[in-house]
Amino acid sequence: MAMRCKRCRDRAAIEIRRHNAAFCRDCFFHYVRQQVTRAIDKHHMLRPGDRVLVAVSGGKDSLALWDLLLELGHRAEGLYMGLGIGAYSERSKDLCQAFAAARGAKLVVYDLAEEQGYSIPEAAGRPRRAGARRSSCGVCGLSKRYVFNRVALEGGYDVVATGHNLDDEAAVLFANTLRWDIETMARQFPVLEATRPGLVKKVKPLYRVAERETAAYCVLKGIDYVVEECPLVAGNTQLRHKETLNQMEEASPGAKHNFLFGFIDRAAELLRSAEHAELTECARCGMVTQAPEDPDAVPVCAFCRSRERLLGARGRHADLPVVEAATR
Amino acid sequence: MLVTARLRPPDRTVEVVDVRRVKDLLARLEVLPTTVLVIRDGALLTSEDELRDGDSVEVRFAISGGGGPPAGGRAGSGAGGA
Repeated sequence: MAMRCKRCRDRAAIEIRRHNAAFCRDCFFHYVRQQVTRAIDKHHMLRPGDRVLVAVSGGKDSLALWDLLLELGHRAEGLYMGLGIGAYSERSKDLCQAFAAARGAKLVVYDLAEEQGYSIPEAAGRPRRAGARRSSCGVCGLSKRYVFNRVALEGGYDVVATGHNLDDEAAVLFANTLRWDIETMARQFPVLEATRPGLVKKVKPLYRVAERETAAYCVLKGIDYVVEECPLVAGNTQLRHKETLNQMEEASPGAKHNFLFGFIDRAAELLRSAEHAELTECARCGMVTQAPEDPDAVPVCAFCRSRERLLGARGRHADLPVVEAATR
Repeated sequence: MLVTARLRPPDRTVEVVDVRRVKDLLARLEVLPTTVLVIRDGALLTSEDELRDGDSVEVRFAISGGGGPPAGGRAGSGAGGA
């Protein structure tokens, strides 16, 4: 017998086992909006009138997030960061632009190679040296965190919103727990306040929504997203952790939800109160970074260190396009 | 009874015989139901929905971050575009 919607008893389009529920198309939209609204309200993510910069990749999560924030009446503009990954990046950009054009929304396009002098494939192609152990996913993540904050800061945005979903957050927490990386765990939360000048508030309004649900949202909403995976991501650690969690979820629906929400509701605050990282400004680019343990050491942020490793001496001019920097 | 399933990513197509419901198809493909969407004519199907002879469905991995089930290997690991 066909499944029925839990709310209206119409024919169901999607089953959500961890909630022991199934929804038709319209009731599923209601459910997703409710989850996002609950996340925003519970963690005071957005205030009325906030200018929100949504980091969009062309994937299901970020485009679903942008669509939801616009539907909920927020002033949400998009930021697409070109990573230089050939046809994959071109298609991703096209989809973000098409999404923005269809809604009359503003999209900021930031090209990493043009602005910072390297692309992610170039970074991935560099041989690793001692002390320079970042994978292509590591360099990509570092670059995104830096650029999102910086573009938001310079553009006068109040908040950066990213499309991290329940599965992403559970997988990151799982990885950090396996290593007992308390310092990183203390920073994992649905909202990170701007605790000092130079930092923009970060929010993850989709943390209550599973990634299968963001994909379903896009399919049912007719949002065209990049189904193909990033060609550089194959075999990464987060995927392996997601596979493990998915096996657990299959045997015990709600396992991921309980793991993540238990952390957020009961453990995160304890870890945060024990964490006393001192912050300062990077001597190269002026962005906020962790103060070095040695008080005499010059503080240089992780992004500038990574960029210098990739570009050599010309990478020291983090503010400037590489062409200008090279002529100095 | 024959059902054609397009799995992606990565993109590949397989033909499966004698599967009555979506959950039977996913079991045959060794795919975890919570990691995929099954799409027929633009509409989502639930695991209890019945399949028809000659159906073409898409089995779309909705899990971002990697390479999907290897050909001939263990199915059930998801993959998708973020």
